[in-house]
Amino acid sequence: MIRSTFRRFLLLFLPLLLLAGCKGEGSRPVVKIGYMLCNNEQETMSRFLPLTRYLSDKCGVDFVAVPVDTHDFEKRFKAGEFTFTHSNSLIYVILHENEGVQLLASEKRGKFGARSAGALIARKGSGIEKLADIRGKRLAFGPMLAPTGYLAEYDLMLSAGINPEHDLGTYSIPPGSYKHEKLIYGVLYGQYDVAAAPILDLETMTREGKIAADDFVILAQSKPVPYCTFGVAKGADPALVKKVKEALLALKPADTAEVDGERIKVLKAAWIDGYEELLDSDYDSIREMAKRVNMPPYQKY
Amino acid sequence: MFNDTFDKITWALLAFVIVALAALLAMNHGAGDGKAAGLGKAVEREMAYRARIELIGKLYGPVEDLRKAGKNQEALLKLDELIRSYPGEAHGYILQGEILREMGALDEAVASFEAGVKLNGDYVDARSPLSRRGAIQGLVDEGLRSIGGRAAANPGNRSLAASLAKVNYLKSRLAGGCE
Repeated sequence: MIRSTFRRFLLLFLPLLLLAGCKGEGSRPVVKIGYMLCNNEQETMSRFLPLTRYLSDKCGVDFVAVPVDTHDFEKRFKAGEFTFTHSNSLIYVILHENEGVQLLASEKRGKFGARSAGALIARKGSGIEKLADIRGKRLAFGPMLAPTGYLAEYDLMLSAGINPEHDLGTYSIPPGSYKHEKLIYGVLYGQYDVAAAPILDLETMTREGKIAADDFVILAQSKPVPYCTFGVAKGADPALVKKVKEALLALKPADTAEVDGERIKVLKAAWIDGYEELLDSDYDSIREMAKRVNMPPYQKY
Repeated sequence: MFNDTFDKITWALLAFVIVALAALLAMNHGAGDGKAAGLGKAVEREMAYRARIELIGKLYGPVEDLRKAGKNQEALLKLDELIRSYPGEAHGYILQGEILREMGALDEAVASFEAGVKLNGDYVDARSPLSRRGAIQGLVDEGLRSIGGRAAANPGNRSLAASLAKVNYLKSRLAGGCE
């Protein structure tokens, strides 16, 4: 009698126990990370998918990478399309001021660590030797919301008494992707006289042998300012935020994640050296520049 | 030859003198070799040191020229190539630290000096022709004020704590602490 009751009990609850014991695919919470497009969607995804998988492994949630165009970033964040943000430092400042996004970690890459600088460059031997020489010349900027490809250089010119709207011959932004590379090559091969080049791109292109260290004259250079940044919506689960921050700061060059059955080195794939814990006040230099240049989030019409 | 006791004693003494002489010769020969070898090694070390200083002057000359011309960023780009070619050479990191400091990147300057001093302690040695003791002392003072202040205001910040640890490492090396 007792054995029979026990058997029935077992038969009744066994399927439930088995189901509870399984931790199948998709059973974990899904959290989205919005990644600002660098050059194009394909490149951004291949860079950051291993990092997204790494964070999923470390934090026990299924992170989903959402590619986001720079100009749509605030609108899509506001619409609730993603909780975590990966963007340039100006977008972070905009999201912080307008939406209360909190700073999580800052990307380290290049000589200035979690910072980089913007520079105005001319080709060596072009006759343009100092900043004052750029009056009446053809200048190329990087993308409009780029802190070290537009904002810093615009500010450098204003500080030197040069109004880009009136004092240059022309200024333009190269079309399509790889804008930073295009304008550096554009100066090298004579399409533009001057370019607003991020120092990080000069470093990378020199390292890759695409340009030589002495191909250019650096006419002016900004102070180093924070670069790519992870942020998080103010209402996010504090325990998860803590886990993500820990995981980012703990990332080492040897750490891997699996993407499509392949083990990939996370930092190498993302082209970064690691993550650092900056303070929100470290972004004040970006805020001051944005105010001087009349750019979001302080733009006045 | 060994007819009587006198002969035997004479031959025994002669044999003893020969053995003693041979032993003395052998000992003197060894000691002379040691001195010569020691002297040779010291000369070799001196020559290697001078050669290193000369090589450093040649390798990093273009970087110094750019710095003198006020072209710090160009100097950094040039230096990057040299650091990749000679990753074990401390001088590149020391120069890089000096340039980064001039460019306002204090935390990165500290990290670069730390890497350089770890590779070669000559830079904290006041008697070395490569000494950067004064610059390192200045960096430590500024680091303790700036990074130390920020770290104290943000006790949970790991990046600041790591930077401060590097400042303290340089401070300990200035005080005579070994690697």
